[in-house]
Amino acid sequence: MKTIHKIFTVAILLFISGGTIVGCSSTKNNYTAATDVQEEFKMEKSGAQMWGEACNRCHLAPSPADYNDTDWSTISLHMRVRANLAENEIAKIETFLKSAN
Amino acid sequence: MIVGFGHITYGQTYNNFETDSVTASQPFKPSKTQFMIRGYGHTGLNFMNTEGEKESSYVGSAFAPIFLFKHSDRLMFEAELEFGLEDNELEVGLEYADVMYILNKNMTVRAGKFLLPFGTFMERLHPAWINRLPTTPLGYGHDGIAPSSGIGVELRGAFDLGGPKLNYAVYSTNGPRLKDGSLEPEEAGMLMFQNFEDNNTSKAFGGRIGLLPFADSSTEIGFSTYSTSKVGTTDSEYENTGAFLYAFDFAFIKQIPAIGGFIDIKGQYNNSDIDDATYIEIEDDIEEEYTFDNKSDSFYAQLSYRPTMASNDFLKKLELVGRYSNLNTPEGAEWEEQSDQYAFGLNYWLTWRSVIKVAYQTTDSVGGHDGGGTANGFFMHWAIGF
Ligand code: HEC
Repeated sequence: MKTIHKIFTVAILLFISGGTIVGCSSTKNNYTAATDVQEEFKMEKSGAQMWGEACNRCHLAPSPADYNDTDWSTISLHMRVRANLAENEIAKIETFLKSAN
Repeated sequence: MIVGFGHITYGQTYNNFETDSVTASQPFKPSKTQFMIRGYGHTGLNFMNTEGEKESSYVGSAFAPIFLFKHSDRLMFEAELEFGLEDNELEVGLEYADVMYILNKNMTVRAGKFLLPFGTFMERLHPAWINRLPTTPLGYGHDGIAPSSGIGVELRGAFDLGGPKLNYAVYSTNGPRLKDGSLEPEEAGMLMFQNFEDNNTSKAFGGRIGLLPFADSSTEIGFSTYSTSKVGTTDSEYENTGAFLYAFDFAFIKQIPAIGGFIDIKGQYNNSDIDDATYIEIEDDIEEEYTFDNKSDSFYAQLSYRPTMASNDFLKKLELVGRYSNLNTPEGAEWEEQSDQYAFGLNYWLTWRSVIKVAYQTTDSVGGHDGGGTANGFFMHWAIGF
């Protein structure tokens, strides 16, 4: 138990501190990641479809008409963090929700 | 010139308002700061039959307001208060209060008191308007073996792997305290996860990693750990007692046309291993030392079905749900218990966040607070999120 804990503690400390440093410094990175290129060639899923899939995972999905744009911005940020959604996913869903309310 | 400037000014004002749906014609600027009050409440009627002893009570009247302050597109504060009536008293709790900041596309930092991503039940599924049954599975809540919230810092985020998605969270919190039995001898050896001011210098560390292997986000599997090298108070006999907990979680949600609706499967397994320690038992005024292998585990699996594709409007809003859960606490502890529970429910969804739940639950246990036996319950609850 003690050794597990020590390894675990060090690993997590490294991750948190390393992650934060990387996170703070790479906000404005201007290289093009391979995944970004991949993204362009992939068949794009619509925001509406992503809403139907992602927003039903924990609770029933709210309909776009339930909130106004201001509220959708707040909710999208809240759900992005709480549900740990990927940035491109929530961005598309937010655009869809705001366009369909 | 004037015409030119006027046009630009007008154009800019107009553009500003394009994103604001409240009103496009009123001459005020939308605020960057946004504030929202929301939350949930629930109430209901419970009938309990514990080994022939019957009880019935209107319960709940729980009210949980949630405050969301959005300062910018990156910075937000969230807090939830919880008001409930228990043991004839009003109980007020601060469920969470934390600040979060989006560092970049894949990283968000949170600090304060937050719900812990130890599995998914407490963080994502416990609010009454989300939980498909009026009760929580065995192993959570009061006397639970899994942590639900903590005070500390956390880093979390998600990656889109071009279809599959990966999400992670790592955190450090004050960690739990060990109940040494001096106050409640029958709970000696349990962890108390509420630790507003740390009782020692050792922090708890934990994390969860979740994988959504399919592009349709239907399936998620997660693994969480939570570990601390010290749960006892500094300079006490229990100072060096450590604990290691882990959990597996699973979720599958998909609308399947062949069966005319949504299938929703959720499950979580929790395992807790606390270092052995010696506790004191007083029997007939004689102090006796005892120890036990301090390992516990709990499990639940839930299946629900909503016939959303039915032609009948009433049927569409119905949901059938079944859940099995199980709890095993250490043999030899005063709180030794082996319980199995089955719960079945029928829900009617008035809206996406308001539901009437009718459920039957039966629990068989050996040991435990009430000495074990069979407890049956019938519940009618109404939950609403707002
Ligand atoms: C991983 C689980 C999960 C997913 C996925 C999820 N939510 Fe939520 N959602 C929650 C939880 C948990 C709450 C309750 C928050 C609370 O009570 O603290 C919530 C609350 C809400 C609320 C109430 C307002 C608020 O911000 O608390 C809205 C609206 C909402 N979700 C919309 C959405 C939308 C839109 C999506 C799709 C992008 C989504 N949710 C995806 C778990 C989830």
